[in-house]
Amino acid sequence: MHEHFKDNDCDKFPIAMAYVPWQEFDGMYDDLEKAYCAGTIFPELDKPFTGRRCVS
Amino acid sequence: MWSYEKRLEFPVNIKEPNAMLAQAIISQYGGPDGEMGASIRYLSQRYSMPYREVAGLLTDIGTEELAHLEIVAAIVHQLTRNLSMEEIEKCGFANYYVDHTVGVWPQAASGFPFTAAQFQVTGDPITDLMEDMAAEQKARTTYDNILRLVKEPDVCEPIKFLRMREIVHFQRFGEALRITQDKLDSRNFYAFNPAFDRCEDCGCD
Amino acid sequence: MREREQLLRDIGMADFVLIELALYLDTHPHDRRAQEYFNHYNRIKNQMEKEFSQKYFPLNLRLTDCGKEWRWGEAPLPWEGECA
Repeated sequence: MHEHFKDNDCDKFPIAMAYVPWQEFDGMYDDLEKAYCAGTIFPELDKPFTGRRCVS
Repeated sequence: MWSYEKRLEFPVNIKEPNAMLAQAIISQYGGPDGEMGASIRYLSQRYSMPYREVAGLLTDIGTEELAHLEIVAAIVHQLTRNLSMEEIEKCGFANYYVDHTVGVWPQAASGFPFTAAQFQVTGDPITDLMEDMAAEQKARTTYDNILRLVKEPDVCEPIKFLRMREIVHFQRFGEALRITQDKLDSRNFYAFNPAFDRCEDCGCD
Repeated sequence: MREREQLLRDIGMADFVLIELALYLDTHPHDRRAQEYFNHYNRIKNQMEKEFSQKYFPLNLRLTDCGKEWRWGEAPLPWEGECA
């Protein structure tokens, strides 16, 4: 069993379905320029791409 | 209905033409996981969405995708408007140019034209929302692939913005799915289609 | 950056905050804090848009007032960018 899987959540999330966790508003970026360039006002949704192919 | 704001949602100011990048980025205009498909998908799905708040979200995200379509077109336009004939010939742009000159026509990077076959409107709320979540991830992956090709900051900036919007939209569609789930019986979410069936198993037809 | 471009960018940023908050409120309609932020940025954006439209060119049809000419047609096209 995965360590983050709780038994009591079983009842709330039956199988054969997908569930996205609710975002809880924790404030927005103070720096609007930063938010604009990032593409979101919410720090918790700011997930930039940093991948590189780097095949030698 | 729609009104128009005479500005882009995010600015596009590209100094140097680049036919290679334009050919790749055009996929986000008319390609299989592009903004044209996204906007028409969401704006079409909303009519058969029985829950007002979800139909409202489909309208708002569909409208934002139209603004993204415009940004992608602006990028392609600015990457191609000043191409010389030499650049057109050397960068393999001749096949597109012969049919479209430096116009912006909805096609994938492969040349495959935009088609409604790129999206579905199943008329089932759970299925349509799952399609929408997948669509946002496909668009994000396409932007990841574009970012590996792009070195120029003035092209990078709007692409990074558009990519992050896909992640935010994914979260919103996920929440819309939670709203839909809450309105159904969790013992069996698939007992009936709330957009179509009037009742569950009442033996009436 | 020139004054006109900076004001246009500020309007874009304020409107972006509104778009983000609108999508959030679509799925969290009772979040008071988000509603207050929305109202705050809506006021700021409307004020800046009105100022821009009077000083430079109308940003939408609602803000177009016809004095001697059809100002809506005066505006540069947004997809041309600043490097044209």
